[in-house]
Amino acid sequence: MNAVEIRNVTKTFGRTRAVDDLTLDVPQGSVYGFIGPNGSGKTTTLRMIMNIFYPDSGRIRIFGEETSEACSDRIGYLPEERGLYRKMKVRELLRFYGQLKSGRDVAGEADRWLARLELSEWADRKVEALSKGMAQKVQFISTIVSRPEMIILDEPFSGLDPVNADAIRDAVLELQKEGTTVIFSTHDMSVAEKMCDFIFMIFRGRKVLDGTLASIQQAYGQDTLRVTAEGDLPPKAELPGVDAITDFGKVQELRIGAGADPQRIVRTIMDRTRVRSFELASPSLHDIFVRIAGPAAKEVTHA
Amino acid sequence: MRKALRLALREYRAAVRTKGFIIGLLVMPVLMGGSGLAMMLLKDQVDTADQRLAVMDHSGIVAPAIVEAAEERNAHEVYDESGEKVKPAYVIEVLEPAGADDASWRLALSDRVRRGDLRAFVEIGEGVGDSGADRGLGRIQYYAKNAAIDDMRRWLGWPINNRLRAARLERAGIDAQAVPGLFDWRAVEGMGLVTVDEKTGEVQEARQSSEGEAIGIPVILTMLMFMMILMGAMPLLQSVMEEKVQRIAEVLLGSLRPFQFMMGKVLGGVAVSLTSASVYVIGGILIARRLGVAEYVPYEVLPWFFGYMFLAIIMIGAMLASLGSACNDAKEAQSMTLPAMIPVMIPMFVMMPVIREPQSAFATYLSFFPPSTPMLMIMRLCTPGGIPSWQPWVGLLTVLLFTVLSVWAGGRIFRIGILMQGKAPQLGEIMRWIVRG
Repeated sequence: MNAVEIRNVTKTFGRTRAVDDLTLDVPQGSVYGFIGPNGSGKTTTLRMIMNIFYPDSGRIRIFGEETSEACSDRIGYLPEERGLYRKMKVRELLRFYGQLKSGRDVAGEADRWLARLELSEWADRKVEALSKGMAQKVQFISTIVSRPEMIILDEPFSGLDPVNADAIRDAVLELQKEGTTVIFSTHDMSVAEKMCDFIFMIFRGRKVLDGTLASIQQAYGQDTLRVTAEGDLPPKAELPGVDAITDFGKVQELRIGAGADPQRIVRTIMDRTRVRSFELASPSLHDIFVRIAGPAAKEVTHA
Repeated sequence: MRKALRLALREYRAAVRTKGFIIGLLVMPVLMGGSGLAMMLLKDQVDTADQRLAVMDHSGIVAPAIVEAAEERNAHEVYDESGEKVKPAYVIEVLEPAGADDASWRLALSDRVRRGDLRAFVEIGEGVGDSGADRGLGRIQYYAKNAAIDDMRRWLGWPINNRLRAARLERAGIDAQAVPGLFDWRAVEGMGLVTVDEKTGEVQEARQSSEGEAIGIPVILTMLMFMMILMGAMPLLQSVMEEKVQRIAEVLLGSLRPFQFMMGKVLGGVAVSLTSASVYVIGGILIARRLGVAEYVPYEVLPWFFGYMFLAIIMIGAMLASLGSACNDAKEAQSMTLPAMIPVMIPMFVMMPVIREPQSAFATYLSFFPPSTPMLMIMRLCTPGGIPSWQPWVGLLTVLLFTVLSVWAGGRIFRIGILMQGKAPQLGEIMRWIVRG
């Protein structure tokens, strides 16, 4: 069964069409990554799933039901902008959020998660005394403390140091193993590649990618030549069949046009400089993202 | 409803558990009633140093009477039973008559007053004893630093006029001494109406009506309602704005509808006010019993008071919470506060005319105008004469309707405002949100 079914949903704000005729299925128990540039419609889509915004047209079903208050009680929501009552004590705050969602006392669950994320000694301190990273972990616990069947995390890792980011990531994956459906939005393509069963990209309100990472990459084929060389690569004009060169500093990614011969391209480069390694690969999610959303800004083209 | 109540409980706890609440509970009545209390306590704190009055009597008949009255007063009123001096003694200095048109002696006396040598001086016209004389010649003029508010000037009227009346009688050939108590004054006492005891059927004695009852009780209950609205409803504007800015709102909206969010905030405010009002009302009753004035406690008005207060805070609170949801920073919230305060202020502006004439057309119609109804109806109910019994019911109905309207409109504003970022609210736009949803 699908945890979320979105059918032909459109949402406009004034003259801006934030989400345009979107159709999407999120299978139950999966980890679904939402990617897209800022302002492309990710948060609006997440808010519509949460029933905070109503679609102008189309329909959304959550666990097979039309969206209603009861549905959103089955979903934990971590908004992009964090908001906690600064004057409340941590445990009291978690109990409040949990009770609001589930109607029952979640003190035990709150304590378990505080211990799991190494926050037990802060349970009786006020939120205002927490560091930013700790507050973010508390906010994460407040999202999951009511044991929702699905969690929606809008940019869950932004602003976290690697240790805390790993702690949250492990917690998310543990929840998934227990059967929780996870939807999260991120700007970190490597996180999306590593964590998500499915990836959905929205751009200017429209769906531009949807599927597993492998299926998405397959659609683009093995059109990327990754080269590590000692000297500079020849300019694009001297490399026949190369559409674009992306310079990552130590690694250069060459996008190869249809019909071009990778062998010939490598030979041309080797004539100019020593090549340490090369690899013919599918484009990375980062590369796919950049190709769709901002080719002009992201590509370094050697004319 | 469960969620709104859960949020209300959080709001209530967050409000009443603070030291600020306890301090506010104690300080508020002191601030509101403080000036009255201070006046009462400091009433007797007067300067008891002797005060000197110079008398320039062009008529030649009044000065001795003033001297005599001052001696009489000094003998009987200046010291209390224990011999402590509680009032200043008046020392009269009768001056040799000088030219009535000569300004120089007036300047000299004024300088003495300025120096503190004299309290004041009084000039009595030569024709003061003659009723038919030119009014200009019969004037009595009192010169002092602040002659308008002056105990001595008020006191002077009495001995001077008594002397003048006696002089008129003498001129008419009547011996004033032959009519004892000729100038005795009898006050007119204000009484309430006579009633019949419903249980025993006996006619009840009318009660003497006092100013404290006629003005004090309506003022106290109206001020209490005003304070409760300030305490329960006004903070909602700021607090909703803050929760929106701190993004707490969006977290909450993941769990409850905007309407539940608004009602949670409003009901929290109602609970805070009910708590405070109960403390004040119970405290007030206990103090009244202690002071032996329990008969003045308007028990029959108290249910109305709580009913109206409950609705008033929902009505005004829903509006304020929704306005707060449209604001993005403290400055915008501040600019919304004043217009939002006006409906609450109107009853305060018209307090005295309404208490004087609670049944006038003005008071009656204004008390059916919902934002003002709760406070004005309580004010009118507390006046000794009361008002027709149907009026508070009709008032309650209009307030109820207006509360429903306010909650409905507030909910529509709140739903859009709470997620709208970075755009200063315009009145026109807010109206559009209400109409179009």
